[in-house]
Amino acid sequence: MTAIDRSSGGRAQQATPVGSPLATSARPPRSWAWVGLAPLLIFLGLFLVVPSFSVFLKSLRANDGSFGFTALGNAFSGQNLDAFKFSVWLSAIAALVGVVAGGLLAYAATTIRRPRWLRSLIIAFSGVAANLGGIPLAFAFIALLGRQGLLTKILSGGFGFELYATSFKLDSTWGLTVVYSYFNIPLMVLITLPAIDGLKVAWREACANLGGTSFTFWRRVGVPVLFPSLLGGFLLLFANSFSAYATAAALTQKSLIVPLRIGFYLRGDISANEDQLGFSLATWMILIMTVCMGLYWFLRKRAERWQQ
Amino acid sequence: MTALVYQSVRKTFGQTVALESFDLTLKPGELVSLLGPSGCGKTTALRIAAGFEKADLGSVSVNGSDITHLPAHRRNMGMVFQSYSLFPNLSVGENVEFGLRTRKVNKAERQKRVGETLELVQLSALMNRFPHQLSGGQQQRVALARALAVQPEVLLLDEPLSALDAKVRATLRDEIRRIQTELGITTLFVTHDQEEALAISDRVGVMSNGRLEQLASPVEVYRHPSSAFVARFVGSMNEFPATVLGRDSLRVAGSVVTVPTMSGSRDGASVLLLVRPEDVSITQGNPKPDRRPEGQLAGTVTAIAFQGASTVVSVRLDGLDRPVAVHLTGAAATPAIGERVSANIDSARAVCEPVGSV
Amino acid sequence: MNRDRVLRFVGRIEPAVFVILCALFFVLPLLAMGRFAFQKIPMIRLGSSTLFDGWTLEGVRRPLGNSDFQKALRLSVQLALATVSLTLALMLPTTLWVHLRLPKARPFVEFLTVLPYVIPPIALVAGVLPLKPYARWFLDSNYSLMPFYVIFAMPFTFRALDAGIQALDVKTLVDASRSLGAGWGHTVRRVLIPNLRSAIISASFLTAAVVLGEYTMARVLLKRTLPAFMAEYQGREPQGGMALALAALVLTTALFAMLSLLTRPRGNRKSKPIMLAAPVTEPTA
Repeated sequence: MTAIDRSSGGRAQQATPVGSPLATSARPPRSWAWVGLAPLLIFLGLFLVVPSFSVFLKSLRANDGSFGFTALGNAFSGQNLDAFKFSVWLSAIAALVGVVAGGLLAYAATTIRRPRWLRSLIIAFSGVAANLGGIPLAFAFIALLGRQGLLTKILSGGFGFELYATSFKLDSTWGLTVVYSYFNIPLMVLITLPAIDGLKVAWREACANLGGTSFTFWRRVGVPVLFPSLLGGFLLLFANSFSAYATAAALTQKSLIVPLRIGFYLRGDISANEDQLGFSLATWMILIMTVCMGLYWFLRKRAERWQQ
Repeated sequence: MTALVYQSVRKTFGQTVALESFDLTLKPGELVSLLGPSGCGKTTALRIAAGFEKADLGSVSVNGSDITHLPAHRRNMGMVFQSYSLFPNLSVGENVEFGLRTRKVNKAERQKRVGETLELVQLSALMNRFPHQLSGGQQQRVALARALAVQPEVLLLDEPLSALDAKVRATLRDEIRRIQTELGITTLFVTHDQEEALAISDRVGVMSNGRLEQLASPVEVYRHPSSAFVARFVGSMNEFPATVLGRDSLRVAGSVVTVPTMSGSRDGASVLLLVRPEDVSITQGNPKPDRRPEGQLAGTVTAIAFQGASTVVSVRLDGLDRPVAVHLTGAAATPAIGERVSANIDSARAVCEPVGSV
Repeated sequence: MNRDRVLRFVGRIEPAVFVILCALFFVLPLLAMGRFAFQKIPMIRLGSSTLFDGWTLEGVRRPLGNSDFQKALRLSVQLALATVSLTLALMLPTTLWVHLRLPKARPFVEFLTVLPYVIPPIALVAGVLPLKPYARWFLDSNYSLMPFYVIFAMPFTFRALDAGIQALDVKTLVDASRSLGAGWGHTVRRVLIPNLRSAIISASFLTAAVVLGEYTMARVLLKRTLPAFMAEYQGREPQGGMALALAALVLTTALFAMLSLLTRPRGNRKSKPIMLAAPVTEPTA
């Protein structure tokens, strides 16, 4: 998908259109072509960079006009620290569940030959479900696992198991993990399928020919080759779960996770004068996301090296 | 003592019959090539020996023991695949020792064997490189080393050179032969390139539609093809329609030619005369019909294609529609287009086929 | 021998079992929604005897008549159309330009389009709020959401268009067209756009899905889009809210199913999740 367009790598210098004013110039017209990126750069600058910068600036500037890093430090104390810890823990668990289940589902999609439409169905559904989320998804799980939920009722009526007698809550770690899995698992499937497809048949056969069983193959070749993709998937799901706002907002009134706390600060729900903390939280969040996505990008490039 | 034996092996994929009743016996230490167009069954036969396909009927045995039902990972064959079979996450050295590790060979012995095999393919310097850092030719040499490190009873090669550049192909082909003779290992080599097959094999098996058409030495297959398919597939052939005149005598394009006919052919029967381009010689000038010696055919040069080592001259013979290709080598003078020439068929090398045996 | 056969049989069964379990996981919530939305019996009284009683479409009819709902729906649809137009107007020329003129910049542009992931919606909207006094005229309008939605959708749209252009070998097409005498406008209109149709459709659908589901920004900026309405409505009318949410899910699914069908690879190629395999952060957040 990101294979460098080798065929046009060297030809950019010859592609002067016949009618252009530079058609007769001998020097390759490289410098002015970057102007074409101006609309995109301006757009991103205005609507992405400027707001991000303002988040950072606001986290430094207290309401009384003074500058300092104290708010950034305070973002790691008290309830905010709890929110960070909970967010990281939740995102890690949700990502782990997503990686394992999604990876297995992707593997099943590759190995199950019959029925033949199964693979396409899994891909199509994953494409849909990976983009679902937010309000409708939260409602769906309330209808399923809420106190008046369908499954809750089935478990108590049919199996005598009272779900809410345990410590289960939809806005607990496990409750949110279950909900987040609804879009994390398909996302993992979409990411992992190309990687599994990239496991060449010849490797399997060569391994068998050299005396290795299926287990040997997975242990010595399959999993190591897939590892960058799996790790990348984990990072992506972690980032995805960490930044989720709408789904959690629909499930709880409390501000347990970082995105929710940012939302509360912004609306003055916590304390009218403390919105600087909100910006600090947002700044830290951006930092965490940057690290995650940076690592993900790096791992993806490495994984592609092996998918000739 | 036999090394690898196929006995009446049959394999179908759904409706298609990949192998009909395949019999092949490889003597220890010999290199046999299976040659044929795609779909002829050669790769299927190889994969059945490796254990990646199961024969429907028949048996396969190695050194006397029946391996027909043995799973692939318990056979002791070395296999080289067409391309991209090296494990990308392991270095060259780790790839080569893979089979030794599964056989639980101890570390010291492993290192010794890896060193020896890499030495054999002349890649010792690259032991710590990774596959994506190697060229195609180097990768295939590592694949060969990896297959040989376990000292298999039979070496199986599945079109190992097809994915390589022409120059690399030629050098690697000779190296494979050199190593094979040095080790004396029984080898089955599958290819669709007849030049390869002829160059390195002890015997060549030409296959078509699941059947072995001819199994003989390269010279035999080239000079005395047993069927029209083999004659056409191996090398190139000119074909003339002709009529049988009598014993060993054919009428071709108005002339009489002496060619060994098949016994039992009736006078007047229509046949096809097959002659290789290098078995036709041309002399310039156009002797009068009554003074033309027997076996010479008159014609006009229509095209000349210079190919470096040889030149292919197309001659349109009087009385025949299709032009005849003639190979000229070395010092033979090249005629001009439009010139009248006489073509002389080397009757010892020509083959006669009844029409309809296409 | 027997052990091998048993192992192979088990190996064939467990993926199937796993897939079935996953299917259940993904379908049950939807069923639960449907039951809640369309069956007028409270959960306490639900039993095997009352399983088929009280099914009504009232849950869906009520919100449809609500004027606030209609306004929210209209706003969201308008936003979606506007965002799709703006996205195509920005991304299509840019992507074409990169492929034709600046191939070396492609990795850089790809990186740029992934940046929106790093700034999640909640953080982005946090950055927009302080700018309110400077751009009141802009941020007061409902359409101020548009450029931000373009940014949220950017990773998908770039990926879809980029993949489509790569599959096409645009350079050769353009050279062929120009050598036959066509001008740039003609080339773009008659050669490029028709061939990029499926990529453009992908990009449009993906953008529309993002817009119709986006909640975070709309809520904080106090715009009454469809998701914002749904969230609030659910508090007042549980059944109606649930019915709307189910309708939203079903429609989004239908949208993507159509998309999959429209962009299905021709011929025997194994279906690859090209268009939809963009790394995602919860797009409806």
